[in-house]
This record gives sequence, C-alpha cells and structure tokens, in this order.
Amino acid sequence: MMRKLLFSAALSALCVLCGNAQTPQATPPPPAPPRSGKFPTPVEQTLPNGLRVIVIERHETPLITAQLLIKNGGEVDPSELAGLADMTADLLTKGTQSRDATKIAQEIESLGGSLEAGARWDSSYATVSVMSSKIQQAMEILADVVRHPTFKSEEVERLRQQNLDSFTLALGDPGSIARFVAARVVFGDSPYGHPVSGTAESLTRISATDIAKMHSRYYRPDNAILVIGGDINGKDGQALATKYFGDWQKPTTPLPAISAAMGAAAAPKTGRVVVIDKPDAGQAAVYLARTGINRKDPDYFRGIVSNSVLSGYSGRLNQEIRIKRGLSYGAGSSLDTRRDVGPFLASAQTKNESGAIVADLLLGEIGRLSSAPPADVELTPRKAVLIGGFSRNLETVGGLVGQVSSLALYGMGLDEINRYINNVQSINTADIQKFAGTRLDAKTASIIIVGNAKAFLPELQKKYPNVEVIPVTELDLNTALLRKKKETAD
Amino acid sequence: MVRTFLRLTLSACLLLTAQLSTPAQQTRMPQLKFTDRTLANGMRVLTVPDSSSPTVAIQVWYHVGSKDDPPNRSGFAHLFEHIMFKSTKNMKSEMMDRLTEDVGGFNNAFTNDDVTVYFEVVPANYLETLIWAEADRLSGLNVDDANFKSERDVVKEEFRQSVLAPPYGMAFYLLQAKSFVEHPYKRPTIGSIEDLDAASLKDVQEFHSTYYRPDNATLVVVGDFDPKQLDTWIDKYLAPIAKPSKPLPRVTVKEPPRKSETRLTEYGRNDLPAVAFTYLTSKLSDADTDALQVAEAILSAGESSRLYNSLVYTQQMAAEVIGDSGPLEDAGLFIVGAILSEGKKPEDAEKALLAEIKKLQDEPVPAAELEKAKNQLITNQLRERETSNGKALALGEAAVLLGDPARVNTDLARLQAVTAADVQRVMKTYFTDANRFVLYYLPEASKSKKEGQ
Repeated sequence: MMRKLLFSAALSALCVLCGNAQTPQATPPPPAPPRSGKFPTPVEQTLPNGLRVIVIERHETPLITAQLLIKNGGEVDPSELAGLADMTADLLTKGTQSRDATKIAQEIESLGGSLEAGARWDSSYATVSVMSSKIQQAMEILADVVRHPTFKSEEVERLRQQNLDSFTLALGDPGSIARFVAARVVFGDSPYGHPVSGTAESLTRISATDIAKMHSRYYRPDNAILVIGGDINGKDGQALATKYFGDWQKPTTPLPAISAAMGAAAAPKTGRVVVIDKPDAGQAAVYLARTGINRKDPDYFRGIVSNSVLSGYSGRLNQEIRIKRGLSYGAGSSLDTRRDVGPFLASAQTKNESGAIVADLLLGEIGRLSSAPPADVELTPRKAVLIGGFSRNLETVGGLVGQVSSLALYGMGLDEINRYINNVQSINTADIQKFAGTRLDAKTASIIIVGNAKAFLPELQKKYPNVEVIPVTELDLNTALLRKKKETAD
Repeated sequence: MVRTFLRLTLSACLLLTAQLSTPAQQTRMPQLKFTDRTLANGMRVLTVPDSSSPTVAIQVWYHVGSKDDPPNRSGFAHLFEHIMFKSTKNMKSEMMDRLTEDVGGFNNAFTNDDVTVYFEVVPANYLETLIWAEADRLSGLNVDDANFKSERDVVKEEFRQSVLAPPYGMAFYLLQAKSFVEHPYKRPTIGSIEDLDAASLKDVQEFHSTYYRPDNATLVVVGDFDPKQLDTWIDKYLAPIAKPSKPLPRVTVKEPPRKSETRLTEYGRNDLPAVAFTYLTSKLSDADTDALQVAEAILSAGESSRLYNSLVYTQQMAAEVIGDSGPLEDAGLFIVGAILSEGKKPEDAEKALLAEIKKLQDEPVPAAELEKAKNQLITNQLRERETSNGKALALGEAAVLLGDPARVNTDLARLQAVTAADVQRVMKTYFTDANRFVLYYLPEASKSKKEGQ
C-alpha cells in the first residue's frame, strides 16, 4: 500500500524533470507494481526476577546479536562526575570474578564475535554479536560481564587514561567540539548538558568506589531489558535468557526513581551565539541548536518527518548549502528524542571564511519550514526517505535489535515497527507547519561556530553584536558558562 | 555522507577485500548463486536473484580509479565521480536522487585507487528505471560550467573535511603520498586543491570518453527480480551502447622495490604524536594476500589483538593502534601504527611496534590465535553480506579486482587454508628493515618547544 503512494509521487516528479522527452529512451521507464515485505514480530516475556526478555527472529544470515540494556545512562551521572555511567559500562568487559580483561577479549574474539559495552543518554548496554553457532558461549560471557564485574583499580586507571586521551583527540576536531558545546548551550548545567564520556576534570575525579556504587544501584534485573535478535527462534531465545539470567537476583531495595525532567526545565529560554576560536582549524563546524521533543511526545512523527524535510541528501539544508552553493560536503539535522526533551541540531562544516553565511543559511531554512512548509510534491519523497531508511535498517540483525531496544527502553509498544510506515504516511503539510512553528522556532535557537574566528567573526558580529568568543584554550565544558574561571595572577 | 569518497583509500580497499566463502566448520556461509554474462559490447553483467527483501541493489563498477588521474589532475577520478550525478543526455542534475531517494531508496558512489563504483538500492519495482538511468549516464554527460564549478567546490570542502579538519587527516594523506615513488598510487585519491582548481569541463568529457565505456564496466544486480525480465531490460538499454574502437589505457608503471628504510617527520594540528610504518607488499590478486589479511587480524583486530594488547593495554603507551593490510590492485601497502598516549615518546612506540612485528617473524602463531583471526574474518564477511548491497560489493570486487567472480564463493577456503607458516613467511618476506617507511607525525606545539630550547 505504501509503495503505491510512492509510485505516484515518483511519476509526478519525473514529469517535472523530463517534460520535453522525445525518443522512447529519453524518459525513464515507469516502475512495475510494487512488491511487498513484512517486518518480523518480536515476542516477549518477563522473568520472575523482573528481567524483560524480547526475542526477534531473522534467519537470512547465521548471525545473532544479544543486547542487555540498563535503563539508565549518562543522565544519572552526578554533575561533578560526568562520564561515570560510561566508565562503569566500559569496565564491565575489563574483568569479572572468573575472567580478566585479556581473557574476556580472547574468548569472545576467538568465537569471531564482538562484545561492546558503553553508556548513552537514558541507557547503558552490553552487546554481543556472533555467528549463531556460537551463541551459547557468547551469552555466558555476556551474563558474566553484566553480573560479576570486579572494577579492579588497575583497570579503572587504565580506562581513565584512555578516556583522557580520547577527550584530547576529540578536542582536536572542530565537529566534536561543536557538539560538546551545543549540549551545554541547550541544556545548561542540567544532566543532558555534559559530555556523556566525561571531561578531563570529571574523569580525574571518578573513583572505583563511585563505579561500584553506580553498578549496584542500576544494574539489576528489574531495571534491565534483554533483546536477542537474528538467527534464533523465540523459544530458544527465551530458554537462553532463563539459563544465563534467570538466577540473577533482584535486590530488595526499591528501584531508584527516574527523574522526570532531565533538561527541558533547565534549558535557557533565549538563544546564544557562541564562537570557539581555534585558529589552526582546517574548517569551521557550524551548528544550530535548540531543544526538541521527548520520545513519547504526541508530536513524535510530526517531528521526525519535519526533520526529514530538512535533512538527508535532498533535504532542504543540503539542497541550499551543498547542492546549490557548494559550501559544504554535507549539511543536515537531527532530532534526538530521549526520555526527556532532547536536542535538535542542524549543522554543516565549511571553509572558515564561509562560517557566517552557513549559519545564516541554517537559520533561514529552519524558519522557512513554517513560513514555506513543504507541499505534497516535496513532502511525499521526504517521507519515502524515512520509510526506506527504516526498512533497510531492519534488514540487518544489528539494526533490528537496535530498533526494538529503543522502543522497549522508552516503553513504546513493540508493534510500532509494523505501524511506523502508516504513522509517517499520515503526516501532512499542516502538521509540519504547526510543528516547525511551535516546536522548532528558530528565534530561540543558538548558534555555535568552532573554527578560525578571524575568518568569519566580523561578518557574524554585524548580525549578532552579543556573540561570545571563547578561545579554545579557555574552553571549559564543565559549566554552561563554557569559559574557564580566570586564575589569580601568580 | 552521501557520495563519499572513502577517505582512507586504504580502508576503502579493506572494505572491498572481503573474501568469501565456502561453509566454515559449524557455520553455513550462504553461497551467492550468480549468473555471469558478457554483452557483445564488452560489458560484464553479474546477477543474483534474492527475494529476502522487496528491494534490489544495482551497482556499476568502472575499472578506473585515482591511479588513472590525468597528469597534473590529481583527484580527478574522484571529482569525476561527483560529476556523474549532474546532467546527462536525458537526465537533469540530481535526477538520480529523484529516482532513488525520492522513492525510499538511496544512491552513493565511491572512488579508490583502482575503481569507481556507483550504487543504488531501490524498491524492487524500480529496477528497470535504474537500468535505464545507468545506461543513460554511461552514454554521455551534458554538464554545464556552473554545475561543474559548484560540485568542484563541494569536493574541495570534502578535502578540507577529510584531510584538513580531523587531527590525523594529513597524516594518512602523507602515509600514502610518501609511500610510493614511481607508481601513481603516490597521489592520494582526494587529490590537491591546486589540481582540482585546474580541472575543467574539457577534462570531464575526455575522461568520460576514455574510461566510461561498456568494456570497462561491470553491472552487478542483487535482489528481488525476475531474471528473464532483467535480461530484456539489459538488452534494451545497455547492449546498444557502442564499444569505442580506441584502446583502453592502463597504468603499467611498476613501483620499484625499496632499497633502504626512509623516514619522515612532519608536524600537524594533532595534540598526541603518532608513529606509523608502511611496507610495500604483493598486489591484491597475489596468493600472499590471504596470509597478509590473517596477519592484519592477528596484529590489530579487536582488543585481544597483539598491537592492542601490547601497546594499549599492557604498556599503556598508545591511545589507538592501526593495522591495515591495504591490498591494492598493483601493489599492497601494509600500514602499522599508533597514536600515542599522553606524555609517551614516539621512539618508544616505534620500538614496541617493531617488537611485535619481530615476534610474528620469529615464532609461528599458536593454533588458537590463528583460528581466532580466521573466525573474526569470517564473521566480518557474514556481516558484510547481510544486505543485497553488501553482496553486490563482494561480487563486484571478485570480478573486477580479482578477475574471477567465482572467488566470491571460493575465497573462504583460501583463507581457511592459511597456515602459521604462511603468516610467518609473509612477515619475513615483506616486513624487512629495507622495506620500511617511517612517519613521525608530531604536534606543531612540540616543534616550537624544541626550537625555543
């Protein structure tokens, strides 16, 4: 059904482009009738210890991915210990009561598999991917690292240094600096404002005791979801879950309450214009940032379709900035939906000299979304992009598990994967206009440019006399002020 | 991003080097049952019907890469790839996006040293449309100067984004540029701003007529289609394209063997120093490629790999390690390197890297470690083949770069046959002192400090 709609849209687009075709071969042949596909349906149960287990079958390739999800991540980091959840998750694979870090890596890699752990916003995860013939051994290792990590001080120190090095590397790249700064600008000093992987200062403060506490507080079966996807049937998947996680004891203490408001309340009401001056930058990273929506927002589908009008290769941002003007290798935007309101970001990297004009173009396109909303001829293809991307993502085992995990984490119905297409199709021009006008107002957005300020600042200042200029050497990501406190003269 | 030039040309090859596949011991490796047909005009057509998803992947491989860049036009093959999305005989600029993206599919293309590959994935009912479109842009381009210049600006931004902006972009650029003396591989695929600026519309037409011809193209189609119907579309749209009578130019330059170690120290905007070696190895189709790939996995695949375990985990001197067997059509370039941890010396990292290489030369790899490396390589191949586009990439590589599409199904056996002695032998053959190029890529700040002293 959905492909019929796409079919007619494509025809009208082609007519516009090829009106004066003459020979039979001068116009593309029309598409044949669509062929249909169907997504697999997840099956689930909750074990007596509270662990929610979801199995989703896909048998084309002999691969299985199993993901153990903890329903908290970087948002529960204490403000002075940014990066705690991420270090805790990373350390799961660095030693258990029966295996040291080297043995864990050797065992999983001998199976040809991978084991990854980390924290994001709203969740922490440990994920194994292996050939289906090796799933028993892989599940045993997964359960061991989640349930019995030791957090040895030697491993804590090693990871601390690695994370400090990664942070240093990130600060060499204009794009990653801009993303760090955007989070602080949008969320201030509230939990979503810090780098999820921590800062140089916070990483230095985190202790093995903090890590062990974080683990005992949040890593419990009634705060976890296990998703197994790929070349396995539902019954075998549930049996695996019971075998390796069935005797995981639920603590008698109550679950930590999850704070309802992570960022929205603390978000500044007016936009800022921030320039991080990095004189040796090979290119400027230009970001526009503001609050977006949370995952359960009734406007979710209006939001993601609006974003699709702006983003993607033929989205408005790339049309204006790359295709029409050659100002960037690519421009796009993202609407990151979380348990609480997440960020909306629009961005492009460009030569330093074009920093101000690209900022203008980004702002202009966000505004135009409500002043000149897309008519059907533009909107229908942008919906097709979303639907196509969603369907292709579900073709891989990793993509399937990722989608289902995300729905489960935010308490959405798992059958949403089979309603997604209709939900996207139902969005119309008026929906976009309303969403853009009420939820993506460009006037309260902030502008962040990281680059060689000399090349674009004079032009930027003409429009924004209040621009804050912070030399990269004085950048402090621990605070919404973004600037290191002046040290007393020595 | 869309229309990626695979930045690290070497990693581009890594992606394409996927070698496949007869069933491993406990794992069924799905075989690709392909048909192989060559049209009268020389175009090769490889097809695999697969109805697991209602989509189809279409790829056209042109056997032309950055090694074929015209003189003083480094980066041209890649710039040309971008131009192939502009006006053709019957299509306006960006019409390829209308035919793919707008109907829920996608398109992209990449250029590396040896090939240029265009690909689309679309709902299956659009297959005929895309065969028409690929035939149309193979038949001729019709680009105007404004479009050409604007796209050239995009490629210059791509240069800045991949080489100038990331802290180690220039280090990878130099690693390739300084590793070859004679062979055109010495020109990195992305080229240089000066040469891009010098390129003109005339170059575009010449390049198209020289390399974009049916006898230099391979079409690969994988997905949900009726083979008979596909044949009629190929006969209708692709078969009539004439084969030019002039011969196809081929690079014949041979890179001379290295006679002694060379070293280079460069300074960049990185905060942590990096050290890397390159070794010239065998060409892609050589039998040693398999053993070199296993050596790469032993050195650098995962946290149990030797370089990670030694430099990152045990000695804690590196933030990241690199190992890449970099197989290229005419001569492989094996890279081994490390980005140092805060406060560590490049000289120490160099010694540690050399020690790991020596260990692989002196002692045979234990059986379990060899098995691990093979399991990792097999699983990677399975992952790559999860999608129709991934299957088509594997098939195209076997046909165009290895010269035999059947290797898509037989290369796993070659990989399985690699012994510990093979690994030791290739390590001894290629990883010699005389065959080493050493790059120290140090922070600019450390230079001024030295000068100040």
